[in-house]
Amino acid sequence: MSTMTEERLQGSSRAALRAEKKAITVGVAGNPNSGKSTIINAIAGTRLHVGNWPGVTVEKKSAIFEYGGRKIRIVDLPGTYSLSPYTQEEIIARDYLIHEKPDVILNVVDATNLERNLYLTVQVMELGIPTVVALNIYDEAEKRGHTINRRVMEDMLGVKVIPTVATKKIGLDDLLKSLLEVAENPSAHCPKHLNYGDDIESAAKMLETQIGLTPLAEKYPPRWLAFKLMEGDSQVSGEIKPDDSGLSVSKAVGHLKTAHDSDIESIMADARYAQAFGLTREVLQKTESGNIELTERIDRIVLNRVLGIPIFLAAMWFVFKLTFDVSKPFADWMSAMTAGPFKGWAEAILGLIRAPGWTVSLVTDGVMAGVGSVLVFVPVIFAMMFFITFLEGSGYMARAAFVMDRAMHTIGLHGKSFIPMLLGFGCNVPAIYATRTLENPKDKALTALLVPLMSCGARLPVYVVFIGAFFSAHAGTVLWSLYVMGIVLAIIVGICFKKTLFKGEAPMFIMELPPYRRPSFKSLMIHTWEKGKHFLIKAGTYILAVSILIWFLLNLPWGVENKKDSYLGKVGQIIAPVLEPIGFGNWEAASSLISGVIAKEIVVGTMGEIYVAKPEDEKKNPSTFSEDLKEVGTSFVHAAEDSAANVFSTVGISSLSSKEDEKRAGLKAVIQKTYTPLSAYAFVAFVLLYMPCVVVAIAMRQEFGTWKWFGIAFVYQMTLAWGVAFLIYHGGKLLGIGG
Amino acid sequence: MGATDILLMGVIIGGALYLLYRSVWKKKGHCSGCCSEICEMNKKYSSRC
Ligand SMILES: Nc1nc2c(ncn2[C@@H]2O[C@H](COP(=O)(O)OP(=O)(O)OP(=O)(O)O)[C@@H](O)[C@H]2O)c(=O)[nH]1
Ligand SMILES: [Mg+2]
Repeated sequence: MSTMTEERLQGSSRAALRAEKKAITVGVAGNPNSGKSTIINAIAGTRLHVGNWPGVTVEKKSAIFEYGGRKIRIVDLPGTYSLSPYTQEEIIARDYLIHEKPDVILNVVDATNLERNLYLTVQVMELGIPTVVALNIYDEAEKRGHTINRRVMEDMLGVKVIPTVATKKIGLDDLLKSLLEVAENPSAHCPKHLNYGDDIESAAKMLETQIGLTPLAEKYPPRWLAFKLMEGDSQVSGEIKPDDSGLSVSKAVGHLKTAHDSDIESIMADARYAQAFGLTREVLQKTESGNIELTERIDRIVLNRVLGIPIFLAAMWFVFKLTFDVSKPFADWMSAMTAGPFKGWAEAILGLIRAPGWTVSLVTDGVMAGVGSVLVFVPVIFAMMFFITFLEGSGYMARAAFVMDRAMHTIGLHGKSFIPMLLGFGCNVPAIYATRTLENPKDKALTALLVPLMSCGARLPVYVVFIGAFFSAHAGTVLWSLYVMGIVLAIIVGICFKKTLFKGEAPMFIMELPPYRRPSFKSLMIHTWEKGKHFLIKAGTYILAVSILIWFLLNLPWGVENKKDSYLGKVGQIIAPVLEPIGFGNWEAASSLISGVIAKEIVVGTMGEIYVAKPEDEKKNPSTFSEDLKEVGTSFVHAAEDSAANVFSTVGISSLSSKEDEKRAGLKAVIQKTYTPLSAYAFVAFVLLYMPCVVVAIAMRQEFGTWKWFGIAFVYQMTLAWGVAFLIYHGGKLLGIGG
Repeated sequence: MGATDILLMGVIIGGALYLLYRSVWKKKGHCSGCCSEICEMNKKYSSRC
């Protein structure tokens, strides 16, 4: 997909570029969380995902924009601490820099962590590609009393160094000017060769000379290639087979080995660290700011060994309660509108164009009932995405991973695996891709297997309908219990997998904890929208398509009287006996669950279509268009008032929306008749667990290149879902609760 | 139910299936919300400094 887009782009822009000049390609490299994506968003107007934790960007992404009459193609890369080939993101970033040879490298450096960031800069210099260094997050560095002498740094590195504050768009003009200048005159801005000491340098020189005689010199930066061959870099050695190319690596490193009594990789790493250390000492001046930083003070509590996990769980509870309370009035409003005025308008329009009778039913009982039932929950989903965005932007995300580290170790993973899992609360698909940040292929596979147990936004509509029908007094808590159930089961399942499929120890957990940052309102809104948008698009695409198909399946064979005898009903009846022991052996539940395989919110959409109110149930007085419009407006204002009141009240949602309940009795009332609280809870637990949706299945296939992991996920999740629902239903009955 | 009805139904069902295929399968699991493809922007950088 991406290569196709790229080819098309290159093809189409080529002609245009000949007229102007060639577009300048800028590759953006830097440590994770140094603000690379933020810089690109600020200069190119993109909406790349940013977050205050390392490992946000896991794919290469590019944007094109114009500056100073030139087209610039800027490529965002995953953040890396070094250019070694250990994790997938390191490989993505490195392959891009080496094989696609950008005109200029923009090395983004986190100015608050100069030494660690310069370790990468030193390696970038080895590539011999014209480079510009952005000293980003300069505001925080200054606040901490750090000053960086950029002139000295420029002298030492031989490249331009520009202080920037990406979040406030400071220094970006200078940065762009420098990029242009470097692109116009690349030879004047080549990075200096940093001296790694005589032993290394002479060995490298020897290899470089040999490389110069082979065609490899055109493919790879010679100095970099020499270093990599000396280090025995597995990827490079695999790609070029030094012996076949006539390169005598062992001869070159012979002296180095005997002189240092250590492996070459560590000797090289030491030399690079020495450079980074030396550079930092020369350019960085610190004036002690005596007070303890806010970050440290918060972390003392949040990362406490005993309180850490309870605080995390409490934070989650708070988020769910707030999600529910804030969005419920809006959801009720949308529900009333789709069942009322909107439906009336659709009927009127179809009548006006004399559409056949059945199309009216298709639109109102199919599309509007199906898509409408899901759309109603868009406010809830957006509220949830808002909190996830806040979690990501504030810096708590990395803390949650840290806090869960010990629990994760029991399943042979480390805390870093918890980040994809937390992201899974938004949507499981990006969470599957986020497993790229894990070094070990085993960790990656196990994490991907556990991700679908994390309750994504698509499952929320199902919960909200059932919770609203049975547990509205404790909505936040019940919702929270489902998410926690997902995490707890992930740990239990993880232990089982560790004993069978994935034996072995968890590697050490190294994860930097960024300082807390207050995300700006604008960026919160943009990224909430970017996440929530997906669910809107889904409503207009797959949910729409499935709603239409379900309507046909409910109405075929043509003229079927009872929905039970329709095709969908018949299929549902075949499956229903399997669900009998877990409390919901009716064909309606069975066929909704089948349709939910495409996307879990469709469970609610299908129920909306199955239980659509019969026309004779509704005794509505015909209202005029302007009356309708007025109702739409005033009820929205009421919803907004209720929502605001809920934020401040601890009473919760039970106090309101009783009025709406009477009016739209619909789905909720039928569910109350069909289920008991116990079977309802068993049902939502089943929906949480029963299988990854089709899109997650495809994502797993994409990421691992095989259907194997999806197959395993499918089998274990089905078993787990049935087992857990059985335990809930029968356990609850035995205890005499909620039956 | 006339022939036009049947034709119309065929078109609607076909359209729905195509929409499903396109949105679920062809995107190969990249959901639109997470901007997994290349985000091409064609903008002029407007200086705000
Ligand atoms: N104070 C301050 N914060 C910044 C600045 N630039 C970026 N940030 C914040 O730093 C965090 C990381 O930004 P990202 O753009 O996601 O970093 P990245 O380098 O793309 O990170 P990865 O994709 O994980 O490699 C975000 O919370 C930004 O808001 C800056 O100049 N000043
Ligand atoms: Mg990024």
